[in-house]
Amino acid sequence: MTEKNTAPAIDPGRPTENLRVTSIRRRPAIRIQVNGRSIEATPGETVLAALTAAGFKVLKKSNVRGEARGPFCGMGVCYECLVTINGVPKQRSCMTEVEDNMEIQTYEPPPD
Amino acid sequence: MNRPQTDVLIIGNGFAGIVAANRLAAAGVDVVLLDENIHIGGQLLRQLPERLGSAANHADYVKKAGQRFIAGVKSKKITVMNRTRVLGIYPEREVLIEENEKKVHTLKAERIILATGAREKFLPFPGWTMPGVISGGAVQVLIKGSGVLPARELLIGGSGLFLFSVAYECLKAGASVRAVLERTGVADKLPLAAQLPLQLPKLSEGVRFLSKILFSGVALRFRNRVLEARGSGRLEQVVAAKVDASGKIIPGREKTYAIPLLAVSNGFAANVELAQMAGCDIEFLDERGGWVTTTGADLETSVPGIYAAGEITGIAGALKSINEGEIAALAILNKMGKMGEAAFHSRLKKLLSARRRHLRFGKYFNLLYRVPAEDYLAIPDETLICRCEDVTMGELRQAVANGYDTPATLKIALRTAMGDCQGRTCGPIIYDILAALTGRSQAAMTPLVVRPPVKPVTIDSLASFLE
Repeated sequence: MTEKNTAPAIDPGRPTENLRVTSIRRRPAIRIQVNGRSIEATPGETVLAALTAAGFKVLKKSNVRGEARGPFCGMGVCYECLVTINGVPKQRSCMTEVEDNMEIQTYEPPPD
Repeated sequence: MNRPQTDVLIIGNGFAGIVAANRLAAAGVDVVLLDENIHIGGQLLRQLPERLGSAANHADYVKKAGQRFIAGVKSKKITVMNRTRVLGIYPEREVLIEENEKKVHTLKAERIILATGAREKFLPFPGWTMPGVISGGAVQVLIKGSGVLPARELLIGGSGLFLFSVAYECLKAGASVRAVLERTGVADKLPLAAQLPLQLPKLSEGVRFLSKILFSGVALRFRNRVLEARGSGRLEQVVAAKVDASGKIIPGREKTYAIPLLAVSNGFAANVELAQMAGCDIEFLDERGGWVTTTGADLETSVPGIYAAGEITGIAGALKSINEGEIAALAILNKMGKMGEAAFHSRLKKLLSARRRHLRFGKYFNLLYRVPAEDYLAIPDETLICRCEDVTMGELRQAVANGYDTPATLKIALRTAMGDCQGRTCGPIIYDILAALTGRSQAAMTPLVVRPPVKPVTIDSLASFLE
């Protein structure tokens, strides 16, 4: 995202529950930008895992009907978890690891 | 341009690939071992990356062996390239590869081992494309590779032993599993049981899975089938029902679960696309789990110099993959003159006898958990089948009725298998549906032709090839 986000960093769609497995001793968190807002991630996690832990369920819309889609196969086969990463569109979030300050853009469904 | 070359190119670094790489490199053979995934080990040996953190992890006998093979690869002079995709295999084993989704170049290999593994298969139902419905494999990948749960509570449905492995992984990671809905019944398992050879590592794994699941109070519901996923834009409810032996819903036995996550899985399909592109013969064998790569006893395919090992010759699990990695490597060493005929044939004889056992083991589960034709015929018209091009079961039925009743003509009529995944998700489903609708065996069907690039590639990446 090139536009400046002046609002304070808020985790969007933060789940009410912690989805990171608690028995794992994690290295210190890094921050990534999703749709212009900052969320927490752990080095070594895939982008998909970081998005999942932050409560993102919808990542793209389907090609023909424009229906909301989320991750499905988790291993690079189905292309349902495509997002824009650092300006490059249609990247498989399940096949990419997070990096500090990575910028991610997902499809945002219109509010209900 | 200096053209890179290698003695042996191994595509896929799961069990079969890492076993073959170890054996070949130990004999002084020059090996390039590549894989699309970020880390070595394939799906089964997936673990937390070191830079993420650490967790106490139980490794069974098979996984410990796998970790030794990975350590072996790292200690030897093997060129390991992860996050690297093969876009095409051309005559004389000229291979077009893409590194790190950026750089495209060719690599010439004297011999190739295809160890591309398998992917999951699914039985579509209305709503299976909704966010919140994910594959069993995705659940495992998130937990094992990133230490993240897809949800705190979930429902698991489909067919196959893998469902229990997913349930086990969830429970171990602290998630709760509302129920496991399994399509087959206990009684279905018995008639085939005589064919099941004893495999101790598998047996102990199964006991470990089941005891954890039972002690955690997870409801195990056999002869149950997911009918529909409901929700507005994301999963809210799952409707399932008890079915009889022929798959018919037993009236009054429907049940609605309010749950935000459903994991589904209906077995595996071998990743034969690269074999097809290389011109290797493939064949349809129910007992091997569907379309598989044809090989001789030494695992050489119909294309001289190209070998196939692991799940792409038949779905049967890690032990068969280890066995075949070894066979393919020894066969190549023999061909290269690095292993004498007598030594080779005596080793091969032992390995082939073990392989027959692994194949029998695979056959039991492949036949038991094969999705029956009735289940495909019961898919409602509104159900999406091709997720990339939004093609429904109704459109498929109509097209088949109009005479578009082969994979190739359906593709022309409906654009099935023409989207981003290039038919990897819907292809095996469509083959099964075509067989169910027409009553013809898949063995008589011609699968879709595979053309380069076998995976979507950006123009920028391709342009790097010309520089």
